[in-house]
Amino acid sequence: MSKKLLITRRQTLLGVAGSSLATVGPFFHVTPARADKGEIVIAGWGGSRTTAMREVMFKPFEAATGIRVKDDGPPEAAKVKAQADSGNVSWDILDTDIPAILTMANNKLLQEIDYTKLDGAKLAAIPKVLHHKFGLGHLIYGFNIVYNTKTFPTGKHPQSWADVWNSDKFKGGRSFPFRGGLSPQLEVALVADGVPVDKVYPLDIERAWKAHDKLRPLVTKWYANHGEALQLISKGEVDICCTIGPRGIVAKKEGAPVDVDYTGGKLAPDNWAIVKGTKNIDAVYQFLNFVIDGKVQAELAKRIPYGPSSQDAFKHLNEAEARDLNTSPENLKKQFWNDINWWGAVGADGKTNTEVQTERYAKWMVQKS
Amino acid sequence: MTAPAAVAQSHIRPWQARPGLMVWGALGFLAAVYLLPMLTLAGWAFRDPKGGFTLAQLVKLFAEDTYHTAFVTTFRTAAITTVACALLGYPLAYLMATTTPRARMLLTAAVMIPFWTSVLARSLAWVILLGKRGIINDWLVGSGLTAAPLPLLFNSLGVQIGMIHVLLPFMVLPIWSILMRADKALPLAARSLGASPARAFLHVVLPLSLPGLFAGCILVFMLAVGFYITPALLGGDRDITIAGLIEMVVRDLLDWPFGAMLSLALMAMVGAIFALGAVIAGADRITGMEGRE
Repeated sequence: MSKKLLITRRQTLLGVAGSSLATVGPFFHVTPARADKGEIVIAGWGGSRTTAMREVMFKPFEAATGIRVKDDGPPEAAKVKAQADSGNVSWDILDTDIPAILTMANNKLLQEIDYTKLDGAKLAAIPKVLHHKFGLGHLIYGFNIVYNTKTFPTGKHPQSWADVWNSDKFKGGRSFPFRGGLSPQLEVALVADGVPVDKVYPLDIERAWKAHDKLRPLVTKWYANHGEALQLISKGEVDICCTIGPRGIVAKKEGAPVDVDYTGGKLAPDNWAIVKGTKNIDAVYQFLNFVIDGKVQAELAKRIPYGPSSQDAFKHLNEAEARDLNTSPENLKKQFWNDINWWGAVGADGKTNTEVQTERYAKWMVQKS
Repeated sequence: MTAPAAVAQSHIRPWQARPGLMVWGALGFLAAVYLLPMLTLAGWAFRDPKGGFTLAQLVKLFAEDTYHTAFVTTFRTAAITTVACALLGYPLAYLMATTTPRARMLLTAAVMIPFWTSVLARSLAWVILLGKRGIINDWLVGSGLTAAPLPLLFNSLGVQIGMIHVLLPFMVLPIWSILMRADKALPLAARSLGASPARAFLHVVLPLSLPGLFAGCILVFMLAVGFYITPALLGGDRDITIAGLIEMVVRDLLDWPFGAMLSLALMAMVGAIFALGAVIAGADRITGMEGRE
């Protein structure tokens, strides 16, 4: 009986030795999470965007490096703060916009990007304006004129922000963003008031708010998220909307009676940002180098019509594909870049312009006018 | 071999010997998921970021008069909702209490089925009905009753319609339950003594049902004060409520201490209303514990 036990034990030991040599076998699968090349968690916006990213970014990256990519979200500042406050940071990379990044950076929730760890050739194809200290622009959205084509057939549609402000010439309800982490569209208000697109910054704040006052009676519904905006404009509850142009293109492709005019559009990037306290910093940079590649970005742009930040992407896209993208050379000319430095500038009270103007927006909205 | 007495003895669990023990589970649960977060909230509101106690948030609450509009809007909306629910709910409850069992079943279903549907779904359904190109406006314009679509949505009217719909069961059910329990012979006695139907109702039925009406009003008002989804979806820029303000302050401005203070202020006001109701009508009537000694 005791001899039999000994053999069994020896066999087990052999088994352990064998599997340890081959780095396979049942015993080493007990702790799979850290036994392989690790895992990174990317907090993004979910939906078709994450599905497309999984297909052209996450899966090829997993295949190339062995690092698994998990997705989570939404990447809201309040959620990152809750993680940091509890000391349990589970996200590594965020995919989010500049206002959110500035708020988070000001609350010390983000890690500075070390650009020396990124591929210089790939970086050179991405406009310098998108190389922010805390975020690298990768998908370009923008605030554009999205209109209902049943109310305004293309050609007779509002073709500038001044037209959007003109309720005599263009009757119908407007919808503009408010809440949900959305900053006021001060630049758009200034352009509507006659400021040329290349002279928008630094913002004449009081003039912008006066123009906002004029807009207020024209707005039927202040929307809290872009899904709501697209719903309102597609169903004809409002006729003109200031919302994300690429989302208007998505709706148009799905057959909704909407179209987009890029004139005077405010371009802004969604960025890769690194969460402070990440335990997988090497994997994070490997991932970033993988996804800022022009060809990878072009593949993503074929699936979701957001402008790729890398101009190299357009080498891999045909003319028809490029036409609908807001960063195509043709469309880029009509628009201006959101100035992240202005929004991120910290005043005497220690608050960024984003924070000050968002608070003013809240008060402006709550106040009876 | 064990004696039968010993077997019986072993089957008595501690909570059978002392039923009061069972309460501790529920109390512990409440302490963990309700009391503890509430204390944390109070901590955020009154603790200085640099340590120590501060009244800064309380001062801000009174000083920032732009935010007071949200309080006025909230209480006005809640008051209108309560009055409208009472006016609509009382006749419905009266009908439910006095009609045939079959009709009562149908009416109860009509009240309860929306009650079991999510507030979000019901609010969205109103968007479909009340919108500029919604069913009601299509019909109004199509039949020539109005030249242009009426503004039924994204204003106070839309919010009121949505909230009254959601809160109506909270008014109907307490009134109905008290009318059902009232002695059916009393109005008949009044009639036999020569009172007109209106007089019998005003002097007999209505006074008997007042506690139910009162409980319904308090319930509807307290729930209406905390409403968030319906005003956000159906309202316009004039309909920002305290709950919407708290969301804005916490999510957009990341000012958690002030958000906590707003939450405490809202809770204090709801508590004050409950206390007032308790003094006037007795807490047992509001909580529905009346007559269940």
